[in-house]
Amino acid sequence: MTAQVSSEFAGVAVEFEGVSKVFGATRALDGLDLEIAPGELLALLGPSGCGKTTALRILAGFEDASSGAVLVDGHDVSRQPPNKRDMGMVFQSYSLFPTMTAVDNVAFGLRLRRRPAADRRRRAEELLDLVGLSPHARKYPHQLSGGQQQRVALARALAVTPRVLLLDEPLSALDAKVREQLREEIRTIQLELGVTTVFVTHDQEEALSLADRVGVMRDGRLEQVAPPATLYDRPATAFVASFVGTTNELPGSMESSGRVRVGAQVLPVDGPAPAAGTSVAVLVRPEAVVVTPHPDGDAIVSVATFRGAITRLRLTRKGAADVLADLPSHRAAELGAGTHAKVELLERPVVVRELA
Amino acid sequence: MTAVVGDTALSSPPLPERTVPRGQRRRLRVGRGVVLILAVLYFFGPLAAAFWFSIDEGNGLTWHAYTNFAQAPGFGSAASLSLELAALTVVLSLLLMVPTLLLVHLRFPRVRTAVELLSLLPLVVPPIVLVVGVSTVIGWGNAGSSGSFRSQLFNQLLNSSPPPILPLEYVILVLPFVFRSLDAGLRTSNTATLVEAARNLGASWPTTVWRVVLPTLRTSLLNGSFLAFALVLGEFTMARLLQYQPFAVWLLQFGNTDGQLSVALSLLSLLLTWALLLVMTAIAGRGPRKAVV
Amino acid sequence: MAQDVPLLAGPQEVRSREQRPARTGRTVGRRLRWSWLGLLPFFAYTALFFLLPTGVVLWTAVRAGNSFTGANLAATVHGAYLTGLEHSVEVSLIDAVIAAVLGLLLAQAVLTSRHGFVHRLVASASAVLANFGGLPLAFLFVAAIGNAGVLTRALSSHLGIDLSGSFDLYSVGGVELVYLYFLVPLMVLVITPALEGLRPQWQEAALNLGATRGQYWRMVATPVLLPNVLGATALLFCSSFSAYATAQALTNGTLSLTSLQIGNALSGNVLTSSQNVAAALALDMIILVVPLTVLYLAMQRRTSRWLAQ
Repeated sequence: MTAQVSSEFAGVAVEFEGVSKVFGATRALDGLDLEIAPGELLALLGPSGCGKTTALRILAGFEDASSGAVLVDGHDVSRQPPNKRDMGMVFQSYSLFPTMTAVDNVAFGLRLRRRPAADRRRRAEELLDLVGLSPHARKYPHQLSGGQQQRVALARALAVTPRVLLLDEPLSALDAKVREQLREEIRTIQLELGVTTVFVTHDQEEALSLADRVGVMRDGRLEQVAPPATLYDRPATAFVASFVGTTNELPGSMESSGRVRVGAQVLPVDGPAPAAGTSVAVLVRPEAVVVTPHPDGDAIVSVATFRGAITRLRLTRKGAADVLADLPSHRAAELGAGTHAKVELLERPVVVRELA
Repeated sequence: MTAVVGDTALSSPPLPERTVPRGQRRRLRVGRGVVLILAVLYFFGPLAAAFWFSIDEGNGLTWHAYTNFAQAPGFGSAASLSLELAALTVVLSLLLMVPTLLLVHLRFPRVRTAVELLSLLPLVVPPIVLVVGVSTVIGWGNAGSSGSFRSQLFNQLLNSSPPPILPLEYVILVLPFVFRSLDAGLRTSNTATLVEAARNLGASWPTTVWRVVLPTLRTSLLNGSFLAFALVLGEFTMARLLQYQPFAVWLLQFGNTDGQLSVALSLLSLLLTWALLLVMTAIAGRGPRKAVV
Repeated sequence: MAQDVPLLAGPQEVRSREQRPARTGRTVGRRLRWSWLGLLPFFAYTALFFLLPTGVVLWTAVRAGNSFTGANLAATVHGAYLTGLEHSVEVSLIDAVIAAVLGLLLAQAVLTSRHGFVHRLVASASAVLANFGGLPLAFLFVAAIGNAGVLTRALSSHLGIDLSGSFDLYSVGGVELVYLYFLVPLMVLVITPALEGLRPQWQEAALNLGATRGQYWRMVATPVLLPNVLGATALLFCSSFSAYATAQALTNGTLSLTSLQIGNALSGNVLTSSQNVAAALALDMIILVVPLTVLYLAMQRRTSRWLAQ
């Protein structure tokens, strides 16, 4: 039955071409250029007000772009009203129609398309089955939990076989446990169906774990679009580095070899290297920091936070900024608060940012 | 008339941005404009006509209605009776409802349904029905031999100045409004948690109520008091049928003597209430933020 | 190890605190036993000044002398009293429906207008007219279109139209017109929260699934609003049916409307056993009005679960 549902979807390409949106004096979107491949799941990630939701709403047709064009399957849809765009959208919360049961909600789009009643019912039940909610088909939204409501919303969006699936922070109103579970299910279903999907979120963990590629946005602009691993390991900008994951910023200076000196170490630079002598901030992930207990070490562990498999240490150093380091918890036992330690960086390329 | 004040009057929620397909926006805007203009005419047409009536002298204008109403025979006593009744009603209803609702919210949440039901029932039973019952009970009281305790009690209730029976019953009439505004205040200010915090920090009960609870309820106390006050000032049915003469009853009687003056006073009373309500709205809009910070 | 303790205890401690019930009665156990006495004044007060008089109405309505009788009630469905009931129902029914439609339109127009001040202006004007309008409204209309009203005179002197020939302010039709002036605002007040409760997501979801605006209103918004609109219309009916001040002021109690007849019976303008007749008429009113008001409250409660927040 899943195969039956999935065979109807044909992933299409989506393209933003220099899309801008101006609300009064603010530029919510500033020349967004973005190509999404057929069947891809792209996450738009950024802090609130970065323009990610505006981009999604322009794609859905709820907002008009001030300039630029949106192409779906190679055709400009900018002049199409939202009800002609054939997209399925899942909202943050409370979007189910309260006077209809779960199955009627799912069948709503098919009712609009004048499909025969028997067809509608069968199709709606298939989709509820797909999201694991068959037992609750006759319940009203207020009788369902938040997670169940979002599953129904997903089934409703998929029922009309949309060309593109739009997810607007669909998990942010849910509890942590449910969020993680539903996140995996969304990914599984999306992969099975192969529907092109745009997923908007402010939660970096969500974006990294779910998407084929992640677009990080700030102030209406795309900072970087890349697969999760690339984004994490090789952030294109300091903003991406600090927004995705946790980053230490350590002072360094450029050597003539195109390498950077941090403390006593000299490390290769990832990406273009600034001129020799330039003062830079060296961006280092906590897991790239090596901590060894040493009575003469210049760093002192101030806080150790247990996080399961790893433990995060905050180290204070005389006359320098604190450093965060992650290490396997079994090694952290000898590094309790107050321990003196030596801090080094792993020998691998680092991202640097020129200091103004 | 069943009195209801919606929440809209006292808060202006963020206007929802509705999504409208491109082609229909213009038509909708025109439709909305027409409705609003008609509404303005509808609301203000009679007001304007009445205002003209109150100053038109046939071949000239006169302001006598607005300058002389204080000297109209009976105005002074009727107005002061109304003010006394309104003040008594406000004080009495707050004395009754504040402790009750505090107890309900802090100690007996299960009784809330019963208290809510009893408080809203006066919306269900119209004043004209209530007054039938009240006057029947008064009739029983007067049936006793004069000099008995019963007849003395009823004599006090009915013939003191101001007659206690009116504020006592007015408390019932304003109960739904006082209940709703206090109940909403207690709920939104999360009083139970505040009280626990204060008690936890070592505050005594009187201190907690006086320094923590009442200040957070300031807006809803003000709101409830205003509604009660305004409703009593305009109350007509019960006062007239129990044969007292506060402002509204006097106004109708005097209307037969001087039409212009009573129209002018009607206008003034509506506009004054409106202005007060706008002030209340402004205060209510500012209140919670102040309370939070 | 000593430093391990805070690390491991931290999160668990927080969780256990959250799970604890919010209110603990035990800490003030001894006070609790007597504090219920604080609720007595409220129940005693409402019993004495509300439940007693209301009960007395029911009692008086079925009494004659020292025995029970249906005669009082029977009398209220004959002759002049029957006419009064019919007029009252007619006025209330027509006005409730007209006011419901107009109020709905106005409330929606106000809500969707971008100007906050239009919103506040109409909301506060509605509150004033709906709650405090009764008597003053009668005067305003007498001044505008009464026998010597501004508009009446203007029309007859400038256009030669005799308003009193076609329209009588002091009749049932006149009362209908004036009642609309507090019923429409009342509708605006009670229906605005319901309209505000229509979530923008519902419209967007409907459009997204291919609905036109009309289809959204028909298939989604109408079923959501219907209970509220029905309930509000019931409330308008009750409000109109039990109104007294406006009609009394307009017609000096001469019009045959149930509320005026109750007032007249109480004022002793009619003959014997007027107290029983007043009570019987009041009972008629209760029989009509109470179920409808309860319907209104029930509808509000029913829909509050999806309109809340």
